[in-house]
Formats: sequence, structure tokens, C-alpha cells
Amino acid sequence: MAKVKPAPLPPDTMIGGYRVLRKVAAGGFGVVYLAVDSTGQQVAIKEYLPASLTTRVPGALAPEVPPEKLSLYRLGLKSFFEEGRSLAQISHPSVVSVMNFFRENETVYMVMNYLEGASLQDFIVTARDLKQAKVFRESTIRSLFDEILRGLRIVHQHKMLHLDIKPANIFITDDNKSVLIDFGAAREVLSKEGNFIRPMYTPGFAAPEMYRRDAAMGPWTDIYAIGACIYACMQGYPPNEAPQRLEKDRITIALRRLKGVYSDNLIEVVEWCMSLDPLSRPQSVFLLQKELSREGERRYTKLTAVEKVRLQFDTMVTDNKKNGQKATAVSGRAK
Amino acid sequence: MKFSVFQVSRKGGREVNEDRMGYCYTRSAGIFFLTDGMGGHPQGEVAAQLALQVMAALFQKEAKPALSDVALFLTSAVTAAHRQIVRYAIERNMLDAPRTTVVAAVIQDGMVTWIHCGDSRLYLVRQGELLTRTRDHSFAEHRQLGAGKLNLPERNNRHLLFTCLGSPSRPMYEVSGPVALQQGDRLLLCSDGLWTGLSDIDITYHLSHKPVNQAVPDLVESALCRAGGSSDNVTALALEWETPDNFLATRTSISTDTMSDAVFASTVQGGWSHPMQDELDDAAIDRSIAEINAAIRRSAARQA
Repeated sequence: MAKVKPAPLPPDTMIGGYRVLRKVAAGGFGVVYLAVDSTGQQVAIKEYLPASLTTRVPGALAPEVPPEKLSLYRLGLKSFFEEGRSLAQISHPSVVSVMNFFRENETVYMVMNYLEGASLQDFIVTARDLKQAKVFRESTIRSLFDEILRGLRIVHQHKMLHLDIKPANIFITDDNKSVLIDFGAAREVLSKEGNFIRPMYTPGFAAPEMYRRDAAMGPWTDIYAIGACIYACMQGYPPNEAPQRLEKDRITIALRRLKGVYSDNLIEVVEWCMSLDPLSRPQSVFLLQKELSREGERRYTKLTAVEKVRLQFDTMVTDNKKNGQKATAVSGRAK
Repeated sequence: MKFSVFQVSRKGGREVNEDRMGYCYTRSAGIFFLTDGMGGHPQGEVAAQLALQVMAALFQKEAKPALSDVALFLTSAVTAAHRQIVRYAIERNMLDAPRTTVVAAVIQDGMVTWIHCGDSRLYLVRQGELLTRTRDHSFAEHRQLGAGKLNLPERNNRHLLFTCLGSPSRPMYEVSGPVALQQGDRLLLCSDGLWTGLSDIDITYHLSHKPVNQAVPDLVESALCRAGGSSDNVTALALEWETPDNFLATRTSISTDTMSDAVFASTVQGGWSHPMQDELDDAAIDRSIAEINAAIRRSAARQA
């Protein structure tokens, strides 16, 4: 029962005064186009077009929604607005900015600044394939996340959480700026409505509380994801999923393997961010920033011979597992 | 415990949605409820919401993580909800108390037990067949059943209920079960807005041929279509019972096995807010877009 995906708008279609150049991405929520405005400036336009609820024949403008799916379609629209609302309040170089929002073709569109570059995910995969001890240099990791944390701090100041931070949602522009993108899961946490919708999550980067319905999510939930992203930058693959960690936690062992390669301080920061207990993590981005930007001599602890042998043995045992995880590094977000 | 659950509430043609629904669960027990605030009396939505909150709070207090006596819990929860509604009316010197129906089901140890008062229904469907459903506390249904046990007046409104929560007389309620659940069993809780438009056969068919996240919206949609512009509020909550297995849980299923004992999850929240599922109409969409654009302009101005 392969459902045909709704067709994207063809190049040169005019929407809201913008001219579509081409489709650049498609996700569960819709399609992102590269377009130009009347002055020739490039923009990214996200079209609300949930693939599971709509159909559109090639060449048509308005998507069709079967009557029985209309209520879910409208419900999804609320999340789309939620993303727009979140982004509209924030103006920061490290957070993707929304420039306009309009209704046309019986759906809605969000206009954002167009970023040229690649995601951190792409960089990790490329770097990992070089098969060196370090995936990224420590100074690179520190400055990259310093920028991201500046943006995230503003997000949290607006009483919002990103809730889907992962390397695929950290964009590195061609002029070397890192930008937090895709606020599709973001919601204002302090204004609870009558019913909840669980945010989508990505295994490996989602904190344990994202898997529970009752759990209090807060800045510490995004901070877990930041820790997991730093981990991915060091290891080249994502950490184990939180539920798996609750059963048997291998993170400490995995990080011990990096001793001597990365400084003790960076390894400790990752462990701190990724504490299973939300209260044991840095409770604010500010605290984490302070720790991450700490200047001074970095201490590297070399492993003893016995530890090295033990780790090598562990590696042999867990090698298959690791390969399995690499596969998940490129898979998308779970729904 | 493993199940998938889906709930939808739509306002229909009415001014206010007086239906409420929700569920809570711990590692070992789950409660699912639906209330329908009654028209003809003031603040039906308040009674419906109060009932939900009282029962959810009591469940949280007593399910640690299992309930010691499910049937006793259900009757005491319904009685507590009734008392709370009456108290609410007294505190506000209301001449007439708000009223609501209730249907609530508890699942524990693989068994389901339910209670109902009024005409909100529970359907239990197994392998494509309707295993059982609740009988409404309405004159119509009891006459149909040829119930000699009740001495009812001859002529009365089909929809008139002879019991509910919030009325001056003590509510009548019925506890049914426990019934041992089997893999794939479907449980539906719904308000009269759903079943007035659809036959038991329709309901059974939809429930047994689709996953709950499709069956519920489809059922609600067809009930709304049948009723047309004057539709009552339509609310439905359905769950499919699944046997825990070794496969990774899909995103739509809830498995409580990995929960720790102290964890309590709930969809019921305080306040009188209307359910979020009230659909966005065209005006609301335009309003949202205008708000977002105003926020964009404000942010841009701040930056400049």
C-alpha cells in the first residue's frame, strides 16, 4: 500500500510573491523549496503538506485532503503554527529566522532565510569515514557548541524548548556559522493546553523524559541532546537510546575509550549533560556554557596498559553492536 | 501492559464542547474515561471536567502502581466526582448543579472493569464482533430492553436520562467486568454524539478493521457527517490491547513495562480549558497567521 507522496510545486510557480526555484527537502510535515523574492533574494519556503494526510497531483496547486483526515490535518496545522510562533519571537544568528508566513493554495507557507552549507550530520559522517582517532578537533567542538548554546539560550529565554536537537538539525553554513534549524517539535512548555501531543523524538538524542508521558521537560531536556551531539562529534556515531541506557548504560565505557584523545573536562561535560536523571544535568544553558568555555590547561588522562587491554576486549565484543548503531546515524527522526 | 490509544473530541454544531476525555496510567494500571456535560443545566463542561479531574487525582493517589480493588475504586471515584460537582454548585450558590454522564474503564492484570452512569458508552469488540456494550441509563434504552424491573412513565423524551452525576438524587451506576482481555481486543468509550449517528454494526466494523488511530477519526467524522450542521459534540477514545512482545514498541503503542513504579502519566489537566482538538476554523487560521507576522515584525524591529 505504497501511498503516492503529494507532488511538490513545480519550478517557477509563484506563491505569495515568491518564485519557486526548486524543492530542497521533504519531510513528514511538508516540503521545503528554494525560492526568490521580488528583489532576487533567496529564501527557503516551507509548505505545510503532510504526506500521510494529503494528496496533490503533479502540476496542481492546492493539496487535497480527504474528509476523514481533515481533523488531523487541522491538528497538524496547529503544530506548524507553533513552529512559526516559536521562531517569530527569536532573532539570533544561531537560530534559523522566519521572515514571513502566509496562506495560499488552501495551505500555509513559512518563509525562512535560506542557508547554504551542510548539516553537522553530514560533517560527522564525512569526518568519521577518515577513520582517525579524533572525529573533530576539541577546539572545533568547543567553538561550534559555544555558538549553538548562545542560540539555544535565547530559545530557552523565550520559554521554549527545541526538543529535537540532533546533528541533522544543526546547520553549518558555508561562511562557518552554526545555526539551529527545524523547530517542528518546539512548543511553549509553560502554557499547557487541555491535551498533550507528545513531541516527536530522535533515538539517541532524546532524553529519557521524552519517552514518558508525565515527565517534566525543561532546558535540561535540550541539554541532554546537546551532550549527545557532542558525543556524536567525538565518537562519530550517536549514543545509545535512553531506554537502552536505562537497562544497561554503556556510555561511561564508551567515553573512557576517548580518554587521552579528548580532554578530561570535555568528557566530563558530556557525561554531565547526558545524566539519566534530569536533575543531575546542568540545569541551564548558562551553566553549560560556562563549563564549556572554561579556559586554562586541559588535562588528558592516559589510560593504563591494563585499561587499554580491557577496552580492546570490550571493543571486540561490542563491535557488531557498534556497526548496528552506525546505521541509525543516517536514519531520520522516529515518528 | 501494552496498548495503543487514540482520542478525538469535536465540537460539532454546538457552541461549547461539553465532552471531556482522557486517560492516565502507571506501570500496572490504566484508567480511561469520558464524560459528557449535560445540556439543560448550567455549566455542563465544568461538571465534565471536574469529574475527570477528581477521578484522575484519585487514581494517581491509589494506583501505587496497582489498585487494590478495581471495582471498589471505580465506585468510590464516581461517587467522589458526584460529590465534588455538588460541592461546586453549593459553594457558588447555584440553583441548579451542573451535570454530567461518565464512563470509565480500568485495565489491570490484563482485565478490564468499567463503570458508567448515563448514556456515554463503552464498546468491547473482539475479533470483529461486539462482545458487549453498556446499556444507557435512558428511558428509551430501558424500554427497549423490556425492562420490567423499572417502573417508568410511558411517554418521555428518548434522550432523557434517569441518572447522572450532579443531580440532587444519588447517582445510579453500574460496574461491569472484569473481562480478561485478549490480544487485539478493542475498547471504545464514546459520547452519545457518536452513537446516535452510527449503528452498533458500523461502530464494530470500524473498530475491528483499522488501527485505533484511524478508526477513531473515521468514526467521529462519519458521526459528524450523519448529524450535519446540528451535530452534538462527538467524542471517542479507543484502545487496542496488545500482548507485550520482544519487538521494539512502535511509536503509537504505549508500553508501561519499562516504567518505574513511581511514574504516573496523565492526559488530564487542571482548569476549564476547552479540549485542544476543537478544530481550527478559517478565521482561526487567519488569526494565527496574523499573530505570527506581527511577532516577526516585532522581532525585526527589536533587532534594528
